[in-house]
Amino acid sequence: MTEQKRTVSIHVPVLTRVEGEGALDLRIDNGEIIELRLRIFEPPRYFEKFLEGRHYTEIPDMVARICGICPVAYQVTAAQALEKLFGVELDPWARDMRRVFYCGEWIQSHSLHIHLLAAPDFFGCNSAIELARIAPDEVRRGLRIQALGNELMELFGARSVHPVGLRVGGFHGAPALPKIREIRDKLRAALPEAEALIRWAASIAVPQDDQDFISVAMQHPTDYAIETGAIGVSDGLRIEADAFDAHFAERHEPHSTALFCTYQQQPYLVGPLARLNLNHARLPERIKALLAETGLVLPSRNLFHSLVARAVEILLALHEALRLLDGYRLPDSPSVPVITRAGIAYGCTEAPRGLLWHRYEMDAAGCVVNARIVPPTSQNQGRIEEDLRLSLLNFGLDQPDDALRLHCEQVIRNYDPCISCATHFLRMRVERT
Amino acid sequence: MNTVRILGIGSPSGDDQVGWLTVDALLAAEVLSTGIDIQKLDRPGATLVTLLDDAAWVILIDAMQSHDAIGRIRRFGADDWPAYQHGLSSHGFGVLDALALARELGSLPRRLDLYGIEIGSANPGEPASKEIQAAALQLALQIAADLTVMARCRPEC
Repeated sequence: MTEQKRTVSIHVPVLTRVEGEGALDLRIDNGEIIELRLRIFEPPRYFEKFLEGRHYTEIPDMVARICGICPVAYQVTAAQALEKLFGVELDPWARDMRRVFYCGEWIQSHSLHIHLLAAPDFFGCNSAIELARIAPDEVRRGLRIQALGNELMELFGARSVHPVGLRVGGFHGAPALPKIREIRDKLRAALPEAEALIRWAASIAVPQDDQDFISVAMQHPTDYAIETGAIGVSDGLRIEADAFDAHFAERHEPHSTALFCTYQQQPYLVGPLARLNLNHARLPERIKALLAETGLVLPSRNLFHSLVARAVEILLALHEALRLLDGYRLPDSPSVPVITRAGIAYGCTEAPRGLLWHRYEMDAAGCVVNARIVPPTSQNQGRIEEDLRLSLLNFGLDQPDDALRLHCEQVIRNYDPCISCATHFLRMRVERT
Repeated sequence: MNTVRILGIGSPSGDDQVGWLTVDALLAAEVLSTGIDIQKLDRPGATLVTLLDDAAWVILIDAMQSHDAIGRIRRFGADDWPAYQHGLSSHGFGVLDALALARELGSLPRRLDLYGIEIGSANPGEPASKEIQAAALQLALQIAADLTVMARCRPEC
């Protein structure tokens, strides 16, 4: 039998959306991948310059604007870095509520990604609107969970989009007890829904796509790391945030204005699956048992398990928020005083999409001399390209163009690079020569 | 399920506050009877769906840009809201997407009034223009009149 070779060029035009712009160039010639380039244009690059000269009190509100989906991650990371430099010891109340605030963001962001962006792919749907025709109850449940995440963010941030409640030293205010009681009831009611979500996510048939990759995520001695911890790597390395530059390097690639980040010259994974791979032993026993029921074996080498990982992290976030709000008390003050000093501030937390690293050089007056922010999407960029190459080979380059395109989109969406990028990736042009 | 809900959608950016300003004007006019749920929403995205399915009548007020005169008010009923194609969406899932999803889920209220107000610039931190403030007031009065009619014909309606 003679195998028919062909040349396929798949181009995704450049997208210019605030939430992140992406493009894909794929060229297959005579059964070989000749060109595969993912181009993402990350807005945080501009923010680093905007921050120069700004007083530390302005930073949480400014960095919140970097992302409409994960503003809390940017705020908490910046505050954590500056508090460390200024020698600020947070009140235990503020420390706990930072984690609760962050849990709200994980809940809303993960639920949005699962139901509106990723899941439709696995059911042959082009959108959540189509998915709603065949899985209405699951979509409704997802929207309820997402709304609850938003509500939790609003509780501490006054609003869920670009919240304004956080400050260096704590929060601007503390929610009143009746509000806390109300949200606790809602969180408790959502637990069975989140458990059902995990079962549903684990039941979705995904491609078998075994790959060898490095996972990078924060690790904490006792907790599933979200807002505190050290940076851990699947090869055993464990470092503090200030050692990031000694092990990780950012570089420019000609085809992208975003920086590619590597670990020992290799691409690596950040995000829910990397976290679950490294930190599953820190999950509450109830969630571990549920995971065991699903049959998911960890660490996983299949990026398509990212969907289940997000579902697991939603349940974890609900558990954590409830645990920390159960002993809620009104603090004497929602924040502690801050005395500035000059120096370098480092911080890192786990944004919904993965590790987020900040570095600020501050002057004695508490103003930014320069800033560097390494967001999760640029860290995943090299891994996405590597994944696409391996995954396409596993999938079969002789598949029809539409199937190749859909597979590429599915692979990219696993990383949740950004909402605008993921939802508009369907604008593709396929050329044959 | 007899709830009437008024949702002003916006952001703190110039004319994009028009949905919120309309809500403010309604509240200031003190014409709302008890039992009417009124909310200001900040770019709700898909979570808008969850606010539609337990109400009998939802009034949505949002900004739109269609190269029309600034301040022009357009009303889209339940059958023609798909014509509302110039709404603003900052995260790729706007009001129209949320309404389409709600329709698919059978979550649309019995009556849905979607008001789009044509806006100019939506720059962060800027106040809304005079045209937009006037349009918000005008729409608030119109909605108040609708609510009055509804209140008079209850419970038969």
